[in-house]
Amino acid sequence: MAPGIQLRSTLSRSVLPDVTEEQLIYVLLEVSAQGVPTTMPKLPLNLCLVIDRSSSMRGERLQQVKEAANRIVDLLSEDDCLSLVTFNDRAEVVIASQRVRNKVDLKRMIGGVEAAGGTEMATGMALALQEIQRALVGRGVSRILLLTDGRTYGDEGRCVEIVRRAQSRGVGLTALGIGNEWNEDLLETMSARENSRTQYITSASEIAQIFTDEVKRMHSVFAQDMQLRAEMRPGARLRSLDRVRPFIATVPVTEEKDLVWATNLGDWPGSDPQAFLLEVVVPSLAVGDHPLLRLTLRYSLPGMNLLNQEGNVVLRIGVRQAASVGYDVDVTVKHWLERLVAYRLQAGAWQDVAAGRIEDASRRLQMAGTRLFEVGDVDLAHTVQDEATRLLRSGQTSAEGRKRIKYGTRGLMGGETQEREA
Amino acid sequence: MNGTIFCSECGATLITEAPRRETTNALSRTIDGIPTVVEDGPHTVVPAPPTIAKASGICLVVINSGRRITLESGEELLVGRKDNQRGIYPDVDLGLDGGYDAGVSRRHAIISPSRKGYMLEDLGSSNGTFINSTRLAPQTPTLIAHGDELKFGTLILRFEIA
Repeated sequence: MAPGIQLRSTLSRSVLPDVTEEQLIYVLLEVSAQGVPTTMPKLPLNLCLVIDRSSSMRGERLQQVKEAANRIVDLLSEDDCLSLVTFNDRAEVVIASQRVRNKVDLKRMIGGVEAAGGTEMATGMALALQEIQRALVGRGVSRILLLTDGRTYGDEGRCVEIVRRAQSRGVGLTALGIGNEWNEDLLETMSARENSRTQYITSASEIAQIFTDEVKRMHSVFAQDMQLRAEMRPGARLRSLDRVRPFIATVPVTEEKDLVWATNLGDWPGSDPQAFLLEVVVPSLAVGDHPLLRLTLRYSLPGMNLLNQEGNVVLRIGVRQAASVGYDVDVTVKHWLERLVAYRLQAGAWQDVAAGRIEDASRRLQMAGTRLFEVGDVDLAHTVQDEATRLLRSGQTSAEGRKRIKYGTRGLMGGETQEREA
Repeated sequence: MNGTIFCSECGATLITEAPRRETTNALSRTIDGIPTVVEDGPHTVVPAPPTIAKASGICLVVINSGRRITLESGEELLVGRKDNQRGIYPDVDLGLDGGYDAGVSRRHAIISPSRKGYMLEDLGSSNGTFINSTRLAPQTPTLIAHGDELKFGTLILRFEIA
Protein backbone atom coordinates (compact mmCIF):
# COMPACT_ATOMS: atom_id res chain seq x y z
CA MET A 1 0.00 0.00 0.00
CA ALA A 2 1.29 3.44 -0.86
CA PRO A 3 2.14 5.58 2.17
CA GLY A 4 -0.43 8.18 3.05
CA ILE A 5 -2.89 9.49 5.55
CA GLN A 6 -6.15 7.61 5.79
CA LEU A 7 -9.54 8.86 6.92
CA ARG A 8 -11.90 5.94 7.28
CA SER A 9 -15.48 6.32 8.46
CA THR A 10 -17.89 3.58 9.46
CA LEU A 11 -21.55 4.15 10.24
CA SER A 12 -23.48 2.05 12.75
CA ARG A 13 -26.04 1.75 9.98
CA SER A 14 -25.75 3.21 6.50
CA VAL A 15 -29.40 2.58 5.68
CA LEU A 16 -32.06 4.12 7.89
CA PRO A 17 -35.83 3.74 7.99
CA ASP A 18 -38.01 6.64 6.82
CA VAL A 19 -39.55 7.52 10.18
CA THR A 20 -40.98 10.86 11.24
CA GLU A 21 -38.91 11.14 14.43
CA GLU A 22 -35.24 11.90 14.88
CA GLN A 23 -32.84 8.95 14.81
CA LEU A 24 -29.45 8.29 16.27
CA ILE A 25 -26.49 7.13 14.24
CA TYR A 26 -22.95 6.41 15.39
CA VAL A 27 -19.90 7.21 13.30
CA LEU A 28 -16.52 5.63 13.90
CA LEU A 29 -13.80 7.79 12.38
CA GLU A 30 -10.39 6.17 12.09
CA VAL A 31 -7.41 8.32 11.28
CA SER A 32 -4.12 6.66 10.49
CA ALA A 33 -0.81 7.38 8.83
CA GLN A 34 1.14 4.54 7.34
CA GLY A 35 4.66 5.09 6.16
CA VAL A 36 4.35 8.86 6.49
CA PRO A 37 6.27 9.23 9.77
CA THR A 38 9.29 7.42 8.33
CA THR A 39 9.43 9.72 5.31
CA MET A 40 9.26 12.90 7.38
CA PRO A 41 12.26 14.52 9.00
CA LYS A 42 12.11 14.09 12.81
CA LEU A 43 11.05 17.04 14.88
CA PRO A 44 13.31 18.13 17.75
CA LEU A 45 12.10 17.12 21.22
CA ASN A 46 11.88 19.24 24.32
CA LEU A 47 11.29 16.96 27.29
CA CYS A 48 11.14 17.70 31.00
CA LEU A 49 11.00 14.83 33.48
CA VAL A 50 9.23 15.73 36.72
CA ILE A 51 9.88 13.07 39.29
CA ASP A 52 8.35 12.60 42.73
CA ARG A 53 11.18 11.79 45.14
CA SER A 54 9.11 11.59 48.33
CA SER A 55 10.12 8.90 50.81
CA SER A 56 7.53 6.43 49.49
CA MET A 57 9.52 6.30 46.26
CA ARG A 58 12.48 4.82 48.13
CA GLY A 59 13.87 1.54 46.88
CA GLU A 60 12.79 -0.15 43.68
CA ARG A 61 10.56 2.66 42.44
CA LEU A 62 13.22 5.35 42.36
CA GLN A 63 15.77 2.83 41.13
CA GLN A 64 13.59 1.97 38.13
CA VAL A 65 12.90 5.65 37.47
CA LYS A 66 16.61 6.42 37.32
CA GLU A 67 17.18 3.44 35.06
CA ALA A 68 14.33 4.60 32.83
CA ALA A 69 15.65 8.16 32.76
CA ASN A 70 19.05 6.84 31.67
CA ARG A 71 17.38 5.04 28.80
CA ILE A 72 15.71 8.27 27.77
CA VAL A 73 19.10 9.95 27.67
CA ASP A 74 20.26 7.17 25.34
CA LEU A 75 17.31 7.73 23.03
CA LEU A 76 17.83 11.48 22.67
CA SER A 77 20.32 13.35 20.50
CA GLU A 78 21.89 16.80 20.18
CA ASP A 79 18.76 18.06 18.44
CA ASP A 80 16.74 17.38 21.59
CA CYS A 81 16.53 19.25 24.88
CA LEU A 82 16.20 17.51 28.22
CA SER A 83 15.57 18.77 31.74
CA LEU A 84 14.93 17.00 35.02
CA VAL A 85 13.02 18.37 38.01
CA THR A 86 12.51 16.46 41.22
CA PHE A 87 10.07 17.33 43.98
CA ASN A 88 9.20 16.35 47.52
CA ASP A 89 8.32 19.10 50.02
CA ARG A 90 10.34 21.38 47.76
CA ALA A 91 11.37 21.14 44.15
CA GLU A 92 14.72 21.44 42.46
CA VAL A 93 16.13 21.50 38.97
CA VAL A 94 18.51 18.56 38.72
CA ILE A 95 19.20 18.97 35.01
CA ALA A 96 18.63 22.45 33.63
CA SER A 97 17.15 22.44 30.14
CA GLN A 98 20.01 21.64 27.74
CA ARG A 99 20.82 19.86 24.51
CA VAL A 100 21.64 16.20 25.04
CA ARG A 101 25.38 16.20 24.45
CA ASN A 102 27.30 14.85 27.40
CA LYS A 103 25.27 11.76 28.18
CA VAL A 104 27.67 10.53 30.88
CA ASP A 105 27.26 13.79 32.79
CA LEU A 106 23.47 13.67 32.50
CA LYS A 107 23.35 10.14 33.84
CA ARG A 108 25.57 11.08 36.73
CA MET A 109 23.16 13.85 37.71
CA ILE A 110 20.25 11.42 37.47
CA GLY A 111 22.15 9.00 39.69
CA GLY A 112 22.41 11.57 42.47
CA VAL A 113 18.65 11.73 43.13
CA GLU A 114 17.61 10.38 46.54
CA ALA A 115 14.18 9.69 48.04
CA ALA A 116 13.05 11.54 51.18
CA GLY A 117 10.28 13.80 52.46
CA GLY A 118 6.68 14.58 51.52
CA THR A 119 4.85 15.50 48.32
CA GLU A 120 4.19 18.96 46.91
CA MET A 121 3.64 18.63 43.22
CA ALA A 122 2.79 22.22 42.26
CA THR A 123 6.30 23.52 42.89
CA GLY A 124 7.67 20.69 40.75
CA MET A 125 5.25 21.54 37.93
CA ALA A 126 6.13 25.24 38.14
CA LEU A 127 9.84 24.51 37.74
CA ALA A 128 9.07 22.11 34.90
CA LEU A 129 7.16 24.77 32.99
CA GLN A 130 10.02 27.16 33.57
CA GLU A 131 12.59 24.71 32.16
CA ILE A 132 10.43 23.69 29.21
CA GLN A 133 9.91 27.30 28.17
CA ARG A 134 13.61 27.92 28.19
CA ALA A 135 14.00 25.60 25.23
CA LEU A 136 10.82 26.47 23.36
CA VAL A 137 11.80 27.34 19.81
CA GLY A 138 9.84 27.57 16.59
CA ARG A 139 9.00 23.95 16.04
CA GLY A 140 9.34 20.77 17.96
CA VAL A 141 7.49 18.48 20.32
CA SER A 142 7.36 19.63 23.95
CA ARG A 143 6.27 17.41 26.82
CA ILE A 144 6.34 17.30 30.57
CA LEU A 145 6.62 13.73 31.80
CA LEU A 146 5.38 13.54 35.38
CA LEU A 147 5.63 10.55 37.69
CA THR A 148 4.17 10.48 41.18
CA ASP A 149 3.18 7.87 43.73
CA GLY A 150 1.36 9.96 46.33
CA ARG A 151 -1.13 12.67 47.04
CA THR A 152 -0.08 16.25 46.93
CA TYR A 153 -1.62 18.38 49.66
CA GLY A 154 -3.40 21.67 49.23
CA ASP A 155 -1.93 22.61 45.87
CA GLU A 156 -4.03 20.53 43.51
CA GLY A 157 -5.73 23.57 42.02
CA ARG A 158 -2.34 25.13 41.35
CA CYS A 159 -1.18 21.97 39.58
CA VAL A 160 -4.12 22.16 37.19
CA GLU A 161 -3.56 25.90 36.64
CA ILE A 162 0.08 25.41 35.76
CA VAL A 163 -0.56 22.57 33.38
CA ARG A 164 -3.30 24.50 31.59
CA ARG A 165 -0.83 27.29 31.00
CA ALA A 166 1.60 24.77 29.57
CA GLN A 167 -1.06 23.16 27.35
CA SER A 168 -2.15 26.50 25.95
CA ARG A 169 1.44 26.96 24.79
CA GLY A 170 1.53 23.61 23.04
CA VAL A 171 3.34 21.80 25.84
CA GLY A 172 1.72 18.44 26.56
CA LEU A 173 1.64 16.50 29.80
CA THR A 174 2.06 12.79 30.29
CA ALA A 175 1.11 12.06 33.90
CA LEU A 176 2.03 8.68 35.34
CA GLY A 177 0.72 7.41 38.66
CA ILE A 178 2.38 4.44 40.33
CA GLY A 179 1.03 2.40 43.22
CA ASN A 180 -2.28 3.00 44.97
CA GLU A 181 -1.88 6.27 46.85
CA TRP A 182 -1.92 8.96 44.15
CA ASN A 183 -4.95 11.00 43.21
CA GLU A 184 -6.32 9.56 39.96
CA ASP A 185 -8.88 12.33 39.58
CA LEU A 186 -6.16 14.99 39.74
CA LEU A 187 -4.01 13.33 37.10
CA GLU A 188 -7.06 12.76 34.89
CA THR A 189 -8.04 16.42 35.17
CA MET A 190 -4.53 17.60 34.48
CA SER A 191 -4.28 15.49 31.33
CA ALA A 192 -7.75 16.19 29.95
CA ARG A 193 -6.49 18.40 27.12
CA GLU A 194 -4.72 17.94 23.81
CA ASN A 195 -1.21 16.53 23.73
CA SER A 196 -1.76 15.06 27.17
CA ARG A 197 -2.38 11.62 28.58
CA THR A 198 -2.23 9.77 31.85
CA GLN A 199 -1.39 6.22 32.75
CA TYR A 200 -1.65 3.88 35.74
CA ILE A 201 1.54 1.98 36.47
CA THR A 202 0.91 -1.01 38.70
CA SER A 203 4.48 -2.24 39.01
CA ALA A 204 7.86 -0.48 39.05
CA SER A 205 9.11 -2.92 36.44
CA GLU A 206 6.87 -1.21 33.85
CA ILE A 207 8.48 2.22 34.27
CA ALA A 208 11.39 1.81 31.88
CA GLN A 209 9.17 0.58 29.04
CA ILE A 210 6.66 3.37 29.55
CA PHE A 211 9.35 6.07 29.56
CA THR A 212 10.87 4.60 26.41
CA ASP A 213 7.46 4.39 24.74
CA GLU A 214 6.87 8.06 25.51
CA VAL A 215 10.07 9.16 23.78
CA LYS A 216 9.32 6.93 20.81
CA ARG A 217 5.85 8.40 20.64
CA MET A 218 7.26 11.91 20.70
CA HIS A 219 9.75 10.99 17.98
CA SER A 220 6.90 9.68 15.83
CA VAL A 221 5.06 13.03 15.82
CA PHE A 222 5.02 14.17 12.20
CA ALA A 223 1.95 16.42 12.09
CA GLN A 224 0.84 19.08 14.53
CA ASP A 225 -2.05 21.45 15.20
CA MET A 226 -4.52 18.77 14.19
CA GLN A 227 -8.06 20.01 14.07
CA LEU A 228 -11.21 18.04 13.40
CA ARG A 229 -14.30 19.81 12.12
CA ALA A 230 -17.77 18.32 11.70
CA GLU A 231 -20.28 20.14 9.49
CA MET A 232 -23.78 18.75 9.84
CA ARG A 233 -26.62 18.88 7.35
CA PRO A 234 -29.52 21.15 8.39
CA GLY A 235 -31.59 19.49 11.08
CA ALA A 236 -28.79 17.19 12.18
CA ARG A 237 -26.69 17.70 15.28
CA LEU A 238 -23.62 16.30 16.93
CA ARG A 239 -24.62 14.86 20.29
CA SER A 240 -21.17 13.80 21.42
CA LEU A 241 -17.63 13.26 20.21
CA ASP A 242 -15.28 10.95 22.06
CA ARG A 243 -11.84 9.66 21.36
CA VAL A 244 -11.70 5.88 21.52
CA ARG A 245 -8.16 5.19 20.30
CA PRO A 246 -5.46 5.07 21.47
CA PHE A 247 -7.45 5.56 24.68
CA ILE A 248 -10.92 6.74 25.65
CA ALA A 249 -11.29 10.44 26.39
CA THR A 250 -14.10 12.94 26.07
CA VAL A 251 -13.07 15.50 23.49
CA PRO A 252 -13.94 19.14 24.22
CA VAL A 253 -15.87 20.36 21.17
CA THR A 254 -16.82 23.95 20.43
CA GLU A 255 -19.72 24.98 18.24
CA GLU A 256 -17.97 27.33 15.82
CA LYS A 257 -21.20 28.37 14.23
CA ASP A 258 -24.58 26.85 13.51
CA LEU A 259 -24.14 23.23 12.43
CA VAL A 260 -20.34 23.34 12.69
CA TRP A 261 -18.42 21.74 15.54
CA ALA A 262 -14.64 21.78 15.89
CA THR A 263 -12.02 20.42 18.23
CA ASN A 264 -8.26 20.77 18.56
CA LEU A 265 -6.40 17.51 18.73
CA GLY A 266 -2.79 18.67 19.00
CA ASP A 267 0.16 16.59 17.88
CA TRP A 268 -0.25 13.50 15.77
CA PRO A 269 2.13 10.67 16.76
CA GLY A 270 2.41 8.30 13.84
CA SER A 271 2.83 5.36 16.23
CA ASP A 272 -0.68 5.63 17.66
CA PRO A 273 -3.83 4.75 15.70
CA GLN A 274 -6.45 7.42 16.28
CA ALA A 275 -10.17 6.82 16.30
CA PHE A 276 -13.19 8.84 17.34
CA LEU A 277 -16.80 7.95 17.93
CA LEU A 278 -19.47 10.49 17.04
CA GLU A 279 -23.12 10.38 18.04
CA VAL A 280 -25.15 12.13 15.37
CA VAL A 281 -28.84 12.94 15.57
CA VAL A 282 -30.43 12.59 12.14
CA PRO A 283 -33.60 14.51 11.29
CA SER A 284 -36.56 12.92 9.56
CA LEU A 285 -35.67 12.44 5.89
CA ALA A 286 -37.51 11.26 2.80
CA VAL A 287 -36.63 8.03 1.04
CA GLY A 288 -33.46 8.50 -1.00
CA ASP A 289 -29.75 9.16 -0.51
CA HIS A 290 -28.68 12.12 1.58
CA PRO A 291 -25.40 13.66 2.66
CA LEU A 292 -25.28 13.68 6.45
CA LEU A 293 -22.09 15.41 7.48
CA ARG A 294 -18.65 16.44 6.32
CA LEU A 295 -15.64 15.65 8.48
CA THR A 296 -12.59 17.80 7.80
CA LEU A 297 -9.14 17.10 9.18
CA ARG A 298 -6.69 19.97 9.18
CA TYR A 299 -3.02 19.67 10.21
CA SER A 300 0.44 21.09 9.73
CA LEU A 301 3.55 19.29 8.59
CA PRO A 302 6.27 21.32 10.28
CA GLY A 303 8.95 18.95 9.00
CA MET A 304 8.14 20.17 5.49
CA ASN A 305 7.18 23.71 6.47
CA LEU A 306 3.61 23.11 5.37
CA LEU A 307 0.66 24.58 7.25
CA ASN A 308 -3.06 24.01 6.97
CA GLN A 309 -3.11 20.78 5.06
CA GLU A 310 -6.62 19.52 4.74
CA GLY A 311 -8.59 16.47 3.86
CA ASN A 312 -12.22 15.68 4.24
CA VAL A 313 -14.82 12.98 3.87
CA VAL A 314 -18.55 13.35 3.30
CA LEU A 315 -20.75 10.76 4.93
CA ARG A 316 -23.94 9.82 3.16
CA ILE A 317 -26.86 7.72 4.29
CA GLY A 318 -29.63 5.96 2.46
CA VAL A 319 -33.19 6.21 3.69
CA ARG A 320 -35.57 3.42 2.74
CA GLN A 321 -39.08 2.38 3.61
CA ALA A 322 -39.14 1.36 7.26
CA ALA A 323 -40.43 -2.14 6.61
CA SER A 324 -37.41 -3.03 4.50
CA VAL A 325 -34.76 -1.78 6.94
CA GLY A 326 -33.33 -4.26 9.46
CA TYR A 327 -31.64 -3.63 12.77
CA ASP A 328 -28.17 -4.72 11.71
CA VAL A 329 -25.44 -2.71 13.35
CA ASP A 330 -21.81 -2.65 12.33
CA VAL A 331 -19.83 -4.88 14.75
CA THR A 332 -16.80 -2.62 14.94
CA VAL A 333 -18.87 0.45 15.71
CA LYS A 334 -20.80 -1.50 18.30
CA HIS A 335 -17.56 -2.76 19.87
CA TRP A 336 -16.10 0.71 20.40
CA LEU A 337 -19.43 2.10 21.51
CA GLU A 338 -19.68 -0.70 24.05
CA ARG A 339 -16.28 0.21 25.48
CA LEU A 340 -17.40 3.82 25.63
CA VAL A 341 -20.62 2.83 27.39
CA ALA A 342 -18.67 0.83 29.97
CA TYR A 343 -16.49 3.88 30.58
CA ARG A 344 -19.53 6.16 30.96
CA LEU A 345 -21.28 3.71 33.28
CA GLN A 346 -18.32 3.52 35.66
CA ALA A 347 -17.95 7.30 35.57
CA GLY A 348 -21.62 7.57 36.56
CA ALA A 349 -21.04 5.05 39.33
CA TRP A 350 -18.37 7.21 41.00
CA GLN A 351 -20.74 10.17 40.84
CA ASP A 352 -23.35 8.01 42.57
CA VAL A 353 -20.83 7.09 45.26
CA ALA A 354 -19.97 10.73 45.83
CA ALA A 355 -23.69 11.48 46.23
CA GLY A 356 -24.17 8.59 48.64
CA ARG A 357 -26.28 6.49 46.22
CA ILE A 358 -24.45 3.25 46.96
CA GLU A 359 -26.97 0.85 45.45
CA ASP A 360 -27.18 2.82 42.21
CA ALA A 361 -23.39 2.94 42.04
CA SER A 362 -23.12 -0.79 42.52
CA ARG A 363 -25.75 -1.42 39.89
CA ARG A 364 -23.96 0.84 37.39
CA LEU A 365 -20.70 -0.95 38.02
CA GLN A 366 -22.44 -4.29 37.45
CA MET A 367 -23.76 -3.05 34.12
CA ALA A 368 -20.30 -1.78 33.20
CA GLY A 369 -18.98 -5.23 34.04
CA THR A 370 -21.49 -6.85 31.71
CA ARG A 371 -20.42 -4.60 28.85
CA LEU A 372 -16.78 -5.42 29.52
CA PHE A 373 -17.52 -9.15 29.33
CA GLU A 374 -19.21 -8.54 26.02
CA VAL A 375 -16.15 -6.82 24.58
CA GLY A 376 -13.94 -9.59 25.90
CA ASP A 377 -12.17 -7.67 28.66
CA VAL A 378 -12.78 -10.46 31.18
CA ASP A 379 -10.15 -9.48 33.75
CA LEU A 380 -11.36 -5.91 33.94
CA ALA A 381 -14.96 -7.13 34.05
CA HIS A 382 -14.12 -9.25 37.11
CA THR A 383 -12.39 -6.27 38.74
CA VAL A 384 -15.47 -4.14 38.15
CA GLN A 385 -17.84 -6.77 39.52
CA ASP A 386 -15.66 -7.35 42.59
CA GLU A 387 -15.73 -3.64 43.29
CA ALA A 388 -19.51 -3.59 42.82
CA THR A 389 -19.89 -6.36 45.39
CA ARG A 390 -17.46 -4.69 47.79
CA LEU A 391 -19.39 -1.45 47.46
CA LEU A 392 -22.73 -3.08 48.16
CA ARG A 393 -21.41 -4.96 51.19
CA SER A 394 -19.27 -2.33 52.87
CA GLY A 395 -20.32 0.96 51.32
CA GLN A 396 -16.66 1.58 50.48
CA THR A 397 -14.52 1.47 47.39
CA SER A 398 -10.90 0.38 47.26
CA ALA A 399 -8.11 2.70 46.12
CA GLU A 400 -6.68 0.09 43.79
CA GLY A 401 -10.10 -0.91 42.46
CA ARG A 402 -11.01 2.68 41.60
CA LYS A 403 -7.77 3.23 39.73
CA ARG A 404 -7.95 -0.04 37.82
CA ILE A 405 -11.53 0.66 36.80
CA LYS A 406 -11.12 4.33 35.90
CA TYR A 407 -7.96 3.76 33.95
CA GLY A 408 -8.71 0.26 32.70
CA THR A 409 -12.00 1.24 31.06
CA ARG A 410 -10.14 4.03 29.25
CA GLY A 411 -7.36 1.75 28.07
CA LEU A 412 -4.77 3.58 30.15
CA MET A 413 -3.19 0.74 32.05
CA GLY A 414 0.42 -0.24 31.66
CA GLY A 415 1.62 -2.01 28.57
CA GLU A 416 -1.39 -4.34 28.46
CA THR A 417 -3.47 -2.24 26.12
CA GLN A 418 -0.70 -0.62 24.11
CA GLU A 419 -1.48 -1.16 20.48
CA ARG A 420 1.17 -1.17 17.83
CA GLU A 421 0.81 -0.67 14.10
CA ALA A 422 2.42 -3.49 12.14
CA MET B 1 -34.37 7.26 20.14
CA ASN B 2 -34.43 4.94 17.16
CA GLY B 3 -30.90 3.78 16.47
CA THR B 4 -29.69 3.84 20.08
CA ILE B 5 -27.71 0.68 20.72
CA PHE B 6 -27.22 0.81 24.50
CA CYS B 7 -29.51 2.29 27.13
CA SER B 8 -27.84 5.46 28.40
CA GLU B 9 -29.06 4.79 31.95
CA CYS B 10 -28.20 1.18 32.53
CA GLY B 11 -26.09 0.21 29.53
CA ALA B 12 -28.34 -2.71 28.54
CA THR B 13 -28.34 -3.69 24.87
CA LEU B 14 -31.40 -2.35 23.11
CA ILE B 15 -31.12 -4.32 19.92
CA THR B 16 -30.86 -7.94 18.95
CA GLU B 17 -28.80 -7.97 15.83
CA ALA B 18 -27.03 -10.17 13.35
CA PRO B 19 -23.76 -8.26 13.06
CA ARG B 20 -22.12 -7.71 9.70
CA ARG B 21 -19.18 -5.51 8.79
CA GLU B 22 -19.97 -2.63 6.47
CA THR B 23 -16.76 -0.58 6.27
CA THR B 24 -15.45 0.77 3.03
CA ASN B 25 -11.82 0.85 2.09
CA ALA B 26 -10.04 4.12 1.58
CA LEU B 27 -7.42 4.62 -1.07
CA SER B 28 -4.48 6.83 -0.39
CA ARG B 29 -2.35 8.87 -2.74
CA THR B 30 0.54 11.16 -2.32
CA ILE B 31 1.15 14.16 -4.54
CA ASP B 32 4.77 15.21 -4.83
CA GLY B 33 5.58 13.26 -1.71
CA ILE B 34 3.10 15.22 0.38
CA PRO B 35 0.54 12.90 1.93
CA THR B 36 -3.03 13.87 1.14
CA VAL B 37 -6.16 12.72 2.85
CA VAL B 38 -8.46 10.78 0.57
CA GLU B 39 -12.16 10.43 1.16
CA ASP B 40 -14.24 7.30 1.23
CA GLY B 41 -16.60 6.70 -1.64
CA PRO B 42 -20.30 6.76 -0.78
CA HIS B 43 -21.59 3.31 0.08
CA THR B 44 -25.09 2.15 0.81
CA VAL B 45 -25.90 -1.40 1.80
CA VAL B 46 -29.20 -3.25 1.62
CA PRO B 47 -29.40 -5.49 4.70
CA ALA B 48 -29.87 -9.25 4.18
CA PRO B 49 -33.24 -10.74 5.16
CA PRO B 50 -33.21 -12.04 8.76
CA THR B 51 -32.78 -15.79 9.22
CA ILE B 52 -35.47 -17.57 11.20
CA ALA B 53 -34.44 -20.31 13.63
CA LYS B 54 -36.74 -22.86 15.26
CA ALA B 55 -36.73 -22.76 19.04
CA SER B 56 -35.59 -26.10 20.46
CA GLY B 57 -34.45 -25.22 23.94
CA ILE B 58 -33.23 -22.38 26.06
CA CYS B 59 -29.83 -21.40 27.29
CA LEU B 60 -28.71 -19.30 30.24
CA VAL B 61 -25.26 -17.79 30.02
CA VAL B 62 -23.60 -16.83 33.29
CA ILE B 63 -21.94 -13.55 32.37
CA ASN B 64 -19.05 -13.58 34.81
CA SER B 65 -17.87 -17.09 34.03
CA GLY B 66 -19.22 -17.63 30.55
CA ARG B 67 -20.79 -20.93 31.64
CA ARG B 68 -23.59 -21.89 29.31
CA ILE B 69 -26.48 -23.73 30.93
CA THR B 70 -28.50 -25.48 28.23
CA LEU B 71 -31.96 -26.61 29.21
CA GLU B 72 -34.76 -28.50 27.58
CA SER B 73 -37.79 -26.38 26.95
CA GLY B 74 -41.27 -27.48 27.86
CA GLU B 75 -41.10 -27.66 31.65
CA GLU B 76 -40.97 -25.34 34.61
CA LEU B 77 -37.38 -24.65 35.71
CA LEU B 78 -36.43 -23.72 39.25
CA VAL B 79 -33.52 -21.26 39.54
CA GLY B 80 -31.71 -21.16 42.87
CA ARG B 81 -28.99 -22.76 45.01
CA LYS B 82 -28.63 -26.42 45.84
CA ASP B 83 -29.09 -27.32 49.48
CA ASN B 84 -28.68 -31.03 50.27
CA GLN B 85 -29.76 -30.62 53.88
CA ARG B 86 -33.09 -29.12 52.99
CA GLY B 87 -33.52 -31.24 49.91
CA ILE B 88 -33.57 -28.31 47.52
CA TYR B 89 -32.26 -29.22 44.06
CA PRO B 90 -32.93 -26.43 41.57
CA ASP B 91 -32.84 -27.17 37.83
CA VAL B 92 -30.49 -24.21 37.51
CA ASP B 93 -28.04 -24.33 40.42
CA LEU B 94 -26.34 -20.94 40.68
CA GLY B 95 -24.37 -22.03 43.73
CA LEU B 96 -21.80 -23.15 41.19
CA ASP B 97 -21.35 -19.61 39.92
CA GLY B 98 -20.86 -17.75 43.16
CA GLY B 99 -24.57 -17.66 43.84
CA TYR B 100 -24.08 -17.65 47.60
CA ASP B 101 -21.96 -14.48 47.47
CA ALA B 102 -24.28 -12.92 44.93
CA GLY B 103 -27.28 -13.33 47.19
CA VAL B 104 -29.12 -15.99 45.23
CA SER B 105 -31.83 -17.62 47.33
CA ARG B 106 -32.20 -21.39 47.43
CA ARG B 107 -35.61 -21.10 45.77
CA HIS B 108 -35.12 -17.88 43.86
CA ALA B 109 -37.22 -17.88 40.69
CA ILE B 110 -39.01 -20.01 38.12
CA ILE B 111 -38.72 -19.94 34.33
CA SER B 112 -41.76 -21.50 32.68
CA PRO B 113 -42.99 -21.86 29.13
CA SER B 114 -46.34 -20.38 28.17
CA ARG B 115 -48.32 -19.73 25.03
CA LYS B 116 -46.80 -16.25 24.75
CA GLY B 117 -43.23 -17.41 25.33
CA TYR B 118 -41.08 -17.86 28.42
CA MET B 119 -42.06 -16.33 31.74
CA LEU B 120 -39.88 -15.48 34.71
CA GLU B 121 -41.37 -15.39 38.21
CA ASP B 122 -39.64 -14.28 41.38
CA LEU B 123 -40.49 -16.54 44.35
CA GLY B 124 -40.12 -13.86 47.00
CA SER B 125 -36.32 -14.03 46.97
CA SER B 126 -34.32 -11.99 49.47
CA ASN B 127 -32.29 -10.03 46.91
CA GLY B 128 -34.67 -9.85 44.01
CA THR B 129 -34.98 -10.90 40.41
CA PHE B 130 -34.38 -8.40 37.61
CA ILE B 131 -35.05 -8.33 33.89
CA ASN B 132 -32.77 -5.78 32.19
CA SER B 133 -32.34 -4.10 35.59
CA THR B 134 -36.05 -3.76 36.27
CA ARG B 135 -36.97 -5.54 39.48
CA LEU B 136 -39.84 -8.00 39.37
CA ALA B 137 -42.57 -7.93 41.97
CA PRO B 138 -42.78 -11.32 43.70
CA GLN B 139 -45.13 -13.94 42.26
CA THR B 140 -45.67 -11.91 39.08
CA PRO B 141 -44.74 -13.98 36.01
CA THR B 142 -43.22 -11.69 33.37
CA LEU B 143 -42.37 -12.39 29.75
CA ILE B 144 -38.65 -12.69 28.92
CA ALA B 145 -37.15 -12.47 25.43
CA HIS B 146 -34.03 -13.76 23.75
CA GLY B 147 -31.08 -11.57 24.70
CA ASP B 148 -32.61 -10.29 27.93
CA GLU B 149 -30.32 -9.88 30.91
CA LEU B 150 -31.67 -11.67 33.96
CA LYS B 151 -30.25 -10.92 37.36
CA PHE B 152 -30.70 -13.03 40.47
CA GLY B 153 -29.36 -11.08 43.43
CA THR B 154 -26.27 -9.60 41.82
CA LEU B 155 -25.60 -12.55 39.53
CA ILE B 156 -26.20 -11.71 35.89
CA LEU B 157 -27.24 -14.23 33.25
CA ARG B 158 -28.21 -13.77 29.65
CA PHE B 159 -31.33 -15.58 28.47
CA GLU B 160 -31.16 -17.16 25.04
CA ILE B 161 -33.65 -19.16 23.05
CA ALA B 162 -31.69 -21.70 21.03
